[in-house]
Amino acid sequence: MLFPTITFAVFFLVVFVGNWLLMPRPHLWKPFILLASFVFYGWWEWRFVLLLALSALANWLFAAAIARSGTAAGRKWLLAVAVAANLGVLGWFKYYGFFITSMVNVLEVFGLNADIALLRIVLPVGISFLTFRVLSYVIDVYRGKLRTASLIDFAVYVSFFPYIMAGPIARAGEVLPQLVSPRDPRRIDTARAFFLIFAGLAKKMLLADYLATHIVNGVFTTPGQYTSLEVLFGIIGYSVQIYCDFSAYADIAIGISLLLGFQLPDNFNAPYTAVSVQDFWRRWHMTLSRWLRDYLYIPLGGNRKGRTRTYMNIMVTMLLGGLWHGAGWPFVFWGGLHGASQVVEHRRVDRRRQRAQRLERRTTALNGEGAGDAGVVAEAGAGAAAGGSSAPLEYDRRPWYGGVWPRLGVFAFVTFAWVFFRSPTFGAALSVLGRLFQSWGGIGAAVTPALLLVIALGIGIQYVPRSLYERTEAGFSALNPVLQGVVLAAGFVLLDVLGPSGPASFLYFRF
Amino acid sequence: MADRSPDDLPFGRRRRSAAGALVAILVALLLGALLNAPAMKKTAQELPFGAARSFRLALIDPLAAVSHWLFLDRPARLTAEALGKPDPGPTGAPLVVLVTPRPRPSGKPGPAATVKPLPPPRRGDPLRLYIGGDSMAGVPGMALTNLAKDTGVMQPKLDYHISSGLCRPDFFNWPAQLVSQAQALHPGAAVVMFGANDQQGVQAANGKVYAFETGGWKTEYRRRVRDAMDILFDGGVKRIYWIGQPIMPEAVFSRHMRVLNEIYRSEARKRSGVRYIDAYRLLSTGSGAYSDYLKDEKGRLQQVREGDGTHFTYAGGMRLARVVLAAIKADWLPKKKSGAVPGSPSPSPRAPAKASPAP
Repeated sequence: MLFPTITFAVFFLVVFVGNWLLMPRPHLWKPFILLASFVFYGWWEWRFVLLLALSALANWLFAAAIARSGTAAGRKWLLAVAVAANLGVLGWFKYYGFFITSMVNVLEVFGLNADIALLRIVLPVGISFLTFRVLSYVIDVYRGKLRTASLIDFAVYVSFFPYIMAGPIARAGEVLPQLVSPRDPRRIDTARAFFLIFAGLAKKMLLADYLATHIVNGVFTTPGQYTSLEVLFGIIGYSVQIYCDFSAYADIAIGISLLLGFQLPDNFNAPYTAVSVQDFWRRWHMTLSRWLRDYLYIPLGGNRKGRTRTYMNIMVTMLLGGLWHGAGWPFVFWGGLHGASQVVEHRRVDRRRQRAQRLERRTTALNGEGAGDAGVVAEAGAGAAAGGSSAPLEYDRRPWYGGVWPRLGVFAFVTFAWVFFRSPTFGAALSVLGRLFQSWGGIGAAVTPALLLVIALGIGIQYVPRSLYERTEAGFSALNPVLQGVVLAAGFVLLDVLGPSGPASFLYFRF
Repeated sequence: MADRSPDDLPFGRRRRSAAGALVAILVALLLGALLNAPAMKKTAQELPFGAARSFRLALIDPLAAVSHWLFLDRPARLTAEALGKPDPGPTGAPLVVLVTPRPRPSGKPGPAATVKPLPPPRRGDPLRLYIGGDSMAGVPGMALTNLAKDTGVMQPKLDYHISSGLCRPDFFNWPAQLVSQAQALHPGAAVVMFGANDQQGVQAANGKVYAFETGGWKTEYRRRVRDAMDILFDGGVKRIYWIGQPIMPEAVFSRHMRVLNEIYRSEARKRSGVRYIDAYRLLSTGSGAYSDYLKDEKGRLQQVREGDGTHFTYAGGMRLARVVLAAIKADWLPKKKSGAVPGSPSPSPRAPAKASPAP
């Protein structure tokens, strides 16, 4: 079921009414919202509802067993089995083809003809998000950060329909506490909810889908048909498209959850205003970034085991983050590009810190201060050199006008990396990039004022101060509900007239 | 309904009650439905013939009438008009399109065609290649576009429209599209692929709706295939490369594709200028079964179908495109030593055929 459809509108109306009528009776509300989520998910493929239910049951059992286990070794073993089982299921559905084709082709290189019977595996929508959700619960229970939930609460958390397809990756610790007591039906942040839903639909229908059909799909599939300038705008267009598409889904999911009384974590914070690649990952798909940080990067050692190990951990995290997005080497390469760029940034900052510390030591020595103080500085320096410092990167401390070039640089780098993310093969990516240098003879028919406007809007909305959005929401909240409905109706019709015919699927469904 | 107590929300944003939210949602949906009734009616009309379509129309028709009566359908229409967008309502597109009957020029099309050598394309005078069809034609069309462009003597133009087919010209009028594209592009060759969306009822000129696979359906669908070929020939196309449907994961779906392919193949046989490309066999395993994965000519295993089991991956599209390009090259760029020059029907001296709605 796609959000921008009449079917979903009817579904949501029924769920909304049922949600608030049953909210005071949790023993009725929970089965109701669980059933609604199963219907939402099963609308696409009912057989995978069973997978969803099984995943909830199995991980609930794993967590319960971990909580009850008396020994540290037993808990560790149970956690390992749970992680292996979840990654195994993910691997089976998502990476089966990738691994089999890679293996067969490698064997072929050595003259070994592996005649393997290949299975047809249908990828359940949102399985990557599901896996990360359930793992966050099991790991947090293992770490003692979370107490085990009842099966019904956990099942509701796992399958809550607003985020089931494409996130945000809300953690158990964020959702389960909200299930403990009924939400207050008198205090719904409707203005923000409606604003997010409308903004999401507008980004999806007016910007993302326009860019996809007008230039991006063509440039990435038949680059030879386009001039270099068109290819350049096609690549930039994809940068804007993927932001507008993915953040639109997150906005709508958060808005719908708010209407049902639940708060989800933000997933985007103006990512193309980032001044460094690290900053980009603090703003892009934030719930994935922090998941990777807390459940992969830090367990690997984070920045606590020396500089080289820190760099390695960054690379491993980003390579696996790339693979999480898709079963293909270009995704891995995309992750590698982001990892390498962050390593370079870390290295630069580390060097600057070392220079600053040397300078400070020299100054201290010249001032004739005590050796004890110098030792303290050296010790702190060692900690910082190991990456343990929490001081912000230098990029973050620049004034806004000083951030223009870093912002442009980060945007250019991220946009370049998206080419590998979007292309099915390296060859296809290189064809697109190669075309940038082959046909500078003319502008091309696809570069239109409308295209430039859409790209400018897609980037420009990220530079609008948050306070302006909040003032608009506050103004909207002052209207009485009937007027709010009228404004929304007019807005939806305008979107329908301006947008493409027929809803297009969200890009991140496939991940 | 608003909670007027001091709140933690910025700029004094007010929270509302669930009842207030419900009022806003209901007003938005009801008013939105009235304002958008023409577009909703159009969407319902485009559904496949059957109970779901009738039910949806039974609900929307009164809504559309009220909307029209209250002038609520005007804002969307006027906005679309002001922005140069198509009218959001039903377009009045015909369910049946008949191609104007005309006497066939000698030898065109038909097995007894006058054999004339095809003009070999050159860099300064490339072969204009029109590639059209539904979403299934998309990826192979893109791959073919890339391959054809690389020859340096072909000028491809890809024109695919998702969810379209020959059964429902009211959704997308392919006969009219083919006429206009032939007039605009003057293609020498056309590659077309239809059918994946044509497993649905079709309305014949007599007004009857025939269910898929019935005798009446086959007769009407065959006529539409024939007309599509005639339109292209009349538009100056000298060769048509008609791509059949590939094997599908489900047995029933595959059987449906074979029904369609039989029609395409038999109609292609009747015309010397039509080449039928057997995608069904090309996308099957050696034992004739379906697989997501097939080996390419170098023995590398590749995923050729998307997760839906229907559409092609780029590798799958490339597999098909290579075969189509080979057929095109055999016709237009024959090797000198082979001697045999492929025949071509005489160019039509008349104006192109017109596609007009059935009375």
